[in-house]
Amino acid sequence: MLDTLIEALRGVLPVEWVITDPVRLRTYECDGLTYHRATPGVVVLPETAEQVARVVGLCNEFAVPFVARGSGTGLSGGALPREDGVLIVTSRMRRILEVDLPNRRAVVEPGVTNLAITEAVRDQGYYYAPDPSSQQICSIGGNVAENSGGAHCLKYGFTVNHIEACEIVTPDGDLVTLDRMDPGYDLLGAFVGSEGTLGIATKITVRLSRAPQAVTTVLAAFESIEQGGKAVSAIIGAGIVPAAIEMMDALAIEAAEAAVACAYPAGAGAVLIVELDGPAVEVERQFERLREICSDAFELRVAADPAERAAIWKGRKSAFAAVGRISPAYIVQDGVVPRTSLPRVLAEIDRLSAAYDIRVANVFHAGDGNLHPLVLFDDAEPGAGERAEAVSGAILDLCIEHGGSITGEHGVGVDKAKYMPKMFSEADLDTMQLVRCAFDPRGLSNPGKVFPTPRLCGEVPGVRKGVHPLVESGRAEQF
Amino acid sequence: MDPELINDCVHCGFCLPTCPTYVLWGEEMDSPRGRIHLMDQHVKGTPVTPEMAGHFDACLGCMACVTACPSGVRYDRLIEQTRAVVEREHERDPRERAVRGLVFSLFPYPRRLRLLRPGMRLAERLAPFLERVHPSLGAMAGLAPPAPRRQRMPRVVRARGARRAVVGMLTGCVQGEFFPQVNAATARVLALEGCDVVIPPGQGCCGALSVHSGRADQARRLARRTVRTFRRAGVDTVVVNAAGCGSSMKEYGELLGEEPGFRVLDLSEFLAELGPVAERHPLPLTVAYHDACHLAHAQGVRAQPRELLRGIPGLELREVPDAAICCGSAGTYNIFQPEAARELGDRKARSVGSTGAELLVSANPGCTMQIVAAMRRGGADIRVAHTAEVLDASLRGVSL
Amino acid sequence: MPSQELAGTGVTLRDAGPGDAVCGVTPTWVALPETTGEVSAVLRACAEHDLAVVPTGGGTKLHWGPAPERCDVLLDLCCMNEIVEHAAGDLVVRAQAGVTMEALSAALAERGQELALDPPFAEGSTVGGTLAAAVAGPRAFRYGTARDLLIGITVVLPDGTIAKSGGKVVKNVAGYDLGKLFTGSFGTLGVIAEATFRLHPLPVERRWIVAVVDPPRVSPAEPCQAGELAAMLAAAQQEPSAVELDWPHGQGPIWMTVLVEGTAAHERARVLRARMGGVVKDVRDEPPPNWGLILNDDVLAEVRFEPAELTRVLDAVHYSGFSLRGSAVAGRVWLELWGDHGADKTIDAVAALRARLDDIGARLTVLATPYEGVERWGAVGSLPLMRRVKERFDPGRRMSPGRFVGGI
Repeated sequence: MLDTLIEALRGVLPVEWVITDPVRLRTYECDGLTYHRATPGVVVLPETAEQVARVVGLCNEFAVPFVARGSGTGLSGGALPREDGVLIVTSRMRRILEVDLPNRRAVVEPGVTNLAITEAVRDQGYYYAPDPSSQQICSIGGNVAENSGGAHCLKYGFTVNHIEACEIVTPDGDLVTLDRMDPGYDLLGAFVGSEGTLGIATKITVRLSRAPQAVTTVLAAFESIEQGGKAVSAIIGAGIVPAAIEMMDALAIEAAEAAVACAYPAGAGAVLIVELDGPAVEVERQFERLREICSDAFELRVAADPAERAAIWKGRKSAFAAVGRISPAYIVQDGVVPRTSLPRVLAEIDRLSAAYDIRVANVFHAGDGNLHPLVLFDDAEPGAGERAEAVSGAILDLCIEHGGSITGEHGVGVDKAKYMPKMFSEADLDTMQLVRCAFDPRGLSNPGKVFPTPRLCGEVPGVRKGVHPLVESGRAEQF
Repeated sequence: MDPELINDCVHCGFCLPTCPTYVLWGEEMDSPRGRIHLMDQHVKGTPVTPEMAGHFDACLGCMACVTACPSGVRYDRLIEQTRAVVEREHERDPRERAVRGLVFSLFPYPRRLRLLRPGMRLAERLAPFLERVHPSLGAMAGLAPPAPRRQRMPRVVRARGARRAVVGMLTGCVQGEFFPQVNAATARVLALEGCDVVIPPGQGCCGALSVHSGRADQARRLARRTVRTFRRAGVDTVVVNAAGCGSSMKEYGELLGEEPGFRVLDLSEFLAELGPVAERHPLPLTVAYHDACHLAHAQGVRAQPRELLRGIPGLELREVPDAAICCGSAGTYNIFQPEAARELGDRKARSVGSTGAELLVSANPGCTMQIVAAMRRGGADIRVAHTAEVLDASLRGVSL
Repeated sequence: MPSQELAGTGVTLRDAGPGDAVCGVTPTWVALPETTGEVSAVLRACAEHDLAVVPTGGGTKLHWGPAPERCDVLLDLCCMNEIVEHAAGDLVVRAQAGVTMEALSAALAERGQELALDPPFAEGSTVGGTLAAAVAGPRAFRYGTARDLLIGITVVLPDGTIAKSGGKVVKNVAGYDLGKLFTGSFGTLGVIAEATFRLHPLPVERRWIVAVVDPPRVSPAEPCQAGELAAMLAAAQQEPSAVELDWPHGQGPIWMTVLVEGTAAHERARVLRARMGGVVKDVRDEPPPNWGLILNDDVLAEVRFEPAELTRVLDAVHYSGFSLRGSAVAGRVWLELWGDHGADKTIDAVAALRARLDDIGARLTVLATPYEGVERWGAVGSLPLMRRVKERFDPGRRMSPGRFVGGI
């Protein structure tokens, strides 16, 4: 089946962009989450939306699953390929088609990187607000699939709040435009964050934001994480909505120090990075309040210029990769708890860490309760990997228990599909499945992601009516 | 290919946007992350396939990825090890072998290069013909700069005014033969800033080209000879004005298994450390400074040359967009991978052109040759100079 | 018997009267559930007997949209009026669908917070209705619309299934966002039972800058004051929260009001006032009359447009007979047609205006009209996908059938 499809693909794309060499294929076996690997059946690198549509059309004709991939930086295995399927890589679709400042929008292809948009308009005083830590490489198509956040989404919201329209290739292979301006169901809202299961975005209209008049970045060092946590609550309680509030604990600081020599205050049990932005007079007043609130901090640094601002952020932004310097292996977790539950949850993570003898470095978006515990272990030590897995899983259980979420920005992907039934009831998941079935009745678009055991479309929940016709005809597999 | 070094890669992809070949083609296999994955496949038992070798060969070795990597992956070492493995294990097709043989028997040897010089005009005329025989030969011919008059360097240039330092100076093979005026300027600037400049005669190639192409044995031979030369000269600091040479010489300790016994510093690095003393005369010029990969990425020298240029009254420095992306010259790359090199050259030429600067300044002769050739193809032109030449003009109060 | 079955759910039920009619279609029963479970029970019973259901909250917008193809049960959610949880420290509120926006605002204000939506008819409209109709207020420019502030939702599907998505944390990407899908779905996919929103601190200060500007003169082309000011204000780093236009009958001068709120609002307003120049009449700490209101929704349309097209939108509306109110910077205004023009004239007026707006890529949607012949929606490219969504959620076409785009 795949061989015939590959022949057909060569009719749609230049042969060099249909990759079948096994050595080459294997370089696509995983995205940013290397824990899950699968060598794709074939990789295609289209350059136009029409090519994507024709590839998807062929996948339909041959009933072959397909997975879309941008820069391959996802941390939930959302772009994990299918061995029996096609991997559609958008990294050659990277033109900025239009910048329209009077309307504060830009039209881009999905392979354009998040930061490239900002770079294209920065000189004119604009920027693209969502800023995932991987913004210099992650693609906007991937951002749309994952509804990516970032440090500054506390004030400015997520990808979905900044997308005006998407041209998508539906799982049937049709090109359809979903536009916020159109009346009717908010299909655009449903599509953003659907992790590639509802189709592939081929053209994206993003909203551009005006650069703030003033930005003040403050680094506050506290003796303990509790003190830092108290300061966070006090800031929110004072009615301040900073652009970002980030926190790192001692272990995360140690790692960042080892990697990029960020020179955070010595002996800090926790550092808080608070960024205020907006009209200069507002920022100035809020900073005065902030200074009072952070009176417990033993050191308070204020960035005087962009270079100092970058220096403060450097440690935070490099934290994930930096823990590689203090630990042979690690798991990056992504969970959310209500902000007010942070102190309790952090204390419980501490307990877990001690109980399993596994170190956990905490880096998090404190303003919105989005935790990124880094669970450190030595993969050479027998059993350590399993213990780390256990801690990592227990942290997610904690998040659910406290009314939070199993993922704040990395997505469910293949990695967390198994946790979905803990967060959602069967009825919830079946209802989400209705959306899936409306877009992708044959289940060809990124199957096996987000949902643990998706029902086949047309199946009535709870009542099985013999073998499904798609299964019977060999066109689909029962999960 | 050291599995430990391979394991340092966490697959985050931060290297991708800085990689020239990824910028060109957008393929995983032609990114540092993809190449490390290919290395991993090889380490785990996959033999070097022609496809694999092709992706390694396509790497420019610009090391922009090393700068970008948050995990500190030593891609520089990995690719060097890999190139050695490819040279050892991979059977290239005969035409390719012949071209590589020619380059490696020519470039690292100043005397042989010198023999080539009178033929440079000829090479220009022959270019279309050579292009047909092999694109690499065409590329070589197209890049050849006009042959300058040879300049013999004195053994020692004495400091002007109070002596502040004694330094050795590397003349380099390509620099020495094709850009002797750069060496002369370097020596004058050092002397004007109060240095005795020791220029040992009989210097050969430092080994950089060989290191970067996986010819480790040749590299070690050349490196040993260079170390001997400067040890004999009795200097504790060697100043280098060619980025590629400087980056290789800084790695002598690893290549040879013992420290060479002297510090290696780039000219700009050394001058910034020394601090300016000599008077700068105004140079009313707009300048685009090009980061040579082997200076910016391999040596981390970005601020110093800019600082030196900004220190010249009347000189306006303009930043080149996408400065971190390689111009495609990359040592012998423009000879072995002419198409990719050409495309990268064109991109860089457009970026440099967009600054509207009158003068392009860079610390690497290869880059300068490459960018000027690309700008000419695009119907534009720009004057070029080495950082040393600009400083020299300012210190002496002459125009450029 | 359906009535017995409905009664058997234990949900308060009464026979419907003419006052319960939805666009002229009178239901048989009105059900008044008090919990999500009761909504589910009613819908299950309706499913059993193929009864069509129209959900309603405060009923302020019930006459919007076309008449339902059929309506057996009016599901009145007014009794689901409990604010379930206000986690002030987390800036999050969870409320049942029947809570009025006014009651919600009052409760939140006690803790110095607000839901930064300012929908019209706040005193009567409910959380559920505001979501289902997805009406936006003046501050959408700064805070987004209902879909942007909604972080969790509980819905009841036509078969009685209770489903939720999102949660009570702002940052959450687990699973599909059903909230987005149900926001603006006009009751055609199921019933919104409960919603969770992110909140904002109440602004410490508010200032409204009131100005009067000239309408555009397009031929001969002259710079349009409204357009130029809107562009300046949208890009202003003093960060106004709203820039509203009020243009009665699309004739004469246009009232332009700029809202500046938050820390140092007074100083920031002063800066903007200076930049706006002589058109400014007043800076005040109360909103002007009509701020964010819909005054007449007998014939009501919404125009969405790219912000830079403001001048041409104004030009199209000029002398069209419509009053215009809405945002000069968010690209969203309401048009009200005053006076009884009759079916034919209304149909013509809408068609003529839509033709002009189509030319500039703007979208005209008629939200309310008593006349059947009026083309409400215009062409929608993704309609086939929308139909598929409807078919999956409501295969029996029992939820507000025919009330939505393309007769969904």
